[in-house]
Amino acid sequence: MTTRVKQYINSYTDSSPLAVFRIGFGLMMLFSIVRFWNKGWIEKIYIEPSFHFKYYGFEWINSIGEGVYILFILCALSACFITLGFKYRPAIITFFLSFTYIELLEKTVYLNHYYFICVLSFLLIFLPLNSSFSLDNFISKTKSISVPRWTIDSIKLMLCIVYIYAGLAKINSDWLLQALPLKIWLPSKYDLPIIGETFMQENWVHFAMSWGGMLYDLLIPFLLLYKRTRTFAFLLVVFFHVFTRVLFPIGVFPYIMIISALIFFDAKFHKRIINILKIIIDPIRKKLSHINIQNVKFNSNKKIIWVLTIFFILQLTIPLRHLSYNGNIMWHEQGYRFSWRVMLMEKLGYTTFKIVDKDKNQFFYVQNEDFLTSYQEKQMSFQPDFILEYAHFLGKHFKNQGYDDIAVYADSYVSLNGRRNQRYIDPEIDLLEIKDSFENKKWILPLKK
Amino acid sequence: MIKKVITLFTVATMLFSCGSGEESLNDYNDGFNRASLLQNIADNIILPSYNNLNQKLEALEVSTNNFTNFANQNNLEQLRLDWLNAYLSWQNVEMFDIGMAEEIDFRRKMNAYPCNVTRISLNISSEDYDLNSSNHYSAQGFPTLDYLLNGFTDPIQVYNGPESSKHLNYLNNLVQDMLTNTNNIINEWNSNREPFINSTENTATSSLNKLTNDFIFYYEKGFRANKIGIPAGVFSGSPLPQNIEAYYHNLNNNTSKILALEALTAIKKFFSGIYFDNTSEGNSLKNYLNHLNALEDGDTLSNVIITTFNSAETAINDLDDNLMNQINNNNYQLLVTYDKVQAAVPLLKIDMIGSLNIDVDYIDADGD
Repeated sequence: MTTRVKQYINSYTDSSPLAVFRIGFGLMMLFSIVRFWNKGWIEKIYIEPSFHFKYYGFEWINSIGEGVYILFILCALSACFITLGFKYRPAIITFFLSFTYIELLEKTVYLNHYYFICVLSFLLIFLPLNSSFSLDNFISKTKSISVPRWTIDSIKLMLCIVYIYAGLAKINSDWLLQALPLKIWLPSKYDLPIIGETFMQENWVHFAMSWGGMLYDLLIPFLLLYKRTRTFAFLLVVFFHVFTRVLFPIGVFPYIMIISALIFFDAKFHKRIINILKIIIDPIRKKLSHINIQNVKFNSNKKIIWVLTIFFILQLTIPLRHLSYNGNIMWHEQGYRFSWRVMLMEKLGYTTFKIVDKDKNQFFYVQNEDFLTSYQEKQMSFQPDFILEYAHFLGKHFKNQGYDDIAVYADSYVSLNGRRNQRYIDPEIDLLEIKDSFENKKWILPLKK
Repeated sequence: MIKKVITLFTVATMLFSCGSGEESLNDYNDGFNRASLLQNIADNIILPSYNNLNQKLEALEVSTNNFTNFANQNNLEQLRLDWLNAYLSWQNVEMFDIGMAEEIDFRRKMNAYPCNVTRISLNISSEDYDLNSSNHYSAQGFPTLDYLLNGFTDPIQVYNGPESSKHLNYLNNLVQDMLTNTNNIINEWNSNREPFINSTENTATSSLNKLTNDFIFYYEKGFRANKIGIPAGVFSGSPLPQNIEAYYHNLNNNTSKILALEALTAIKKFFSGIYFDNTSEGNSLKNYLNHLNALEDGDTLSNVIITTFNSAETAINDLDDNLMNQINNNNYQLLVTYDKVQAAVPLLKIDMIGSLNIDVDYIDADGD
């Protein structure tokens, strides 16, 4: 066993897939940052709100106001550096830190694909994506045409984890037996040309897409890994993601997944891409052609292998943490995030808060729009950790206003996947008495039916 | 291998999709004629409501002119009556915060209360103000007219005294402004009727989505909070009687309750698609929900919503005819009434929006 592991660690392969992946990743990140900025979301999400929701354990992350623009600039610059393979290691570390910091600033905009980028960029810190076809080659005057196989395989493994967990998450009764939430979402796409008023309205289409989506997620990693099915699988990847892009507002995620899936192709394919790129940048290459670059052997660093081993163990276990909570995970959402649960539910909520002045035995309700933007209010209304965090914020706010002894109660109603709305939070529980933790949140009322 | 996988894939997909097709719970097939809904709302509710408001404001203009010429008690009574009639008519319009009405902030210009007496007095004496500035929203519209007509201990003396022309000027300017804005909005409606009706797609800016969002917003803010919740002290802990609608007129009349009931009637009629000026019924949110077969506890969602509206109406009817007295004598009953009004909010914001699957695309989402 250990000899096989050693053998694997010491086996080498061509480094061009890493170079292509680096360029693809860098350009996609640059594009998605520019797009985000261009849409005015920086202002809307990070600057406008007076209160920001923070991740459990990261409440200490300070909102930095306009300073967030600097983070975005850093992020965009490092994405350029990554694309060029210039100062790759510092660039990818800067990218990981700035991007992750931005994400930690506001929990409301949690998306699996942002988390994917955080996780992937962390992984990329430890991989030699600049070993060939990079500006760093000219600086160090060395390149590595061969790299250890584990460097490329770890990217593949990360993608496989994403797909397989996304597929496993779809194995639930709402998704498979009732085609929910697709049955709710697809008919509302009536304004799509041709398919809108026909296919999107058909019951069998909802079921076919639910089952197809589940099988796609579970099978695509294997179809991509297996050489004879690879081209077909890639076409499937393109079709699937473009189709979801047409149907849902999921931003750049489909493109990222399409570009990432290229990593499964062999070196020959990537060399061809590099050759095309070489023609495009020919004038620059001519100017640099006097520099002699030596090919050196890339040596695996044992420490890095340990880091990545721990990293992948965590990636495999984190999505399973929901198993330690009872009830419907889509309802209570404990262990829901960071688990590749994508497009799984249609959830709507309405939550207001009652502040009780225990001294005077008086009460009043909070108007959420006094503190939250409409998007924050929407997200807060059906996610228990948001509700708790906001209740504590309200508690603090009104204590500062001179109320001494107060209690905060939530009047909360949520509907999951088209079920009728149900009371969500125990209205008898003073949320100020509750501290957020990994403990089972007993103040969430169980889902009926 | 590949062939096997593909075959398995397709067979499995077909098998499961066919098998479960027969036992589907709800048929969400959306073949609803949204354009006919929009046409009904535009032609039979919005435009007639606006035209009615226009008529009432024209009458108000006439009595304002008469009062300007002869500021006597008789003319004042007529002016008060026309003001009240226009205010009642306004209750049918406020929820349509769409198009030009939204652009010019019509809702807030017409009905921001309580009015700001300091600001009003300042404007009257300085004669220098911009009614389009948001600073002056609470110094115009119906609430300010309420103050100008009902807020002085001896109005006849005010409008005949040394400052009379300044007061009359302000009064006339406000009425003129309300009338001009209403006219402009009606003109815009007439020229934009077609695009409004044809905007049937499901985007954040399409007609039905805007209309529905505005309706819910109005129910929650303009109706529930402003008319009942805020005066009852739901958001402040202690009641705020000075915040009731038509505060000054209500001191000697039972105005606030009548206005609230008129607003609720308008809400019910909009939801059910009932024409403004008769009892005919066209396509509406109610029909749309029924078409989508939205169910709630075995009953149709639309029925549950209408029942909730009705129970709110009963509760308001049971209140003291004078809301001020209600607050001062038994505010608890007003709080209970608020709960009845509030009960419709989760139904509208969760179940109705969920069934219609109204698209509100703020930013990227991945459905979680």
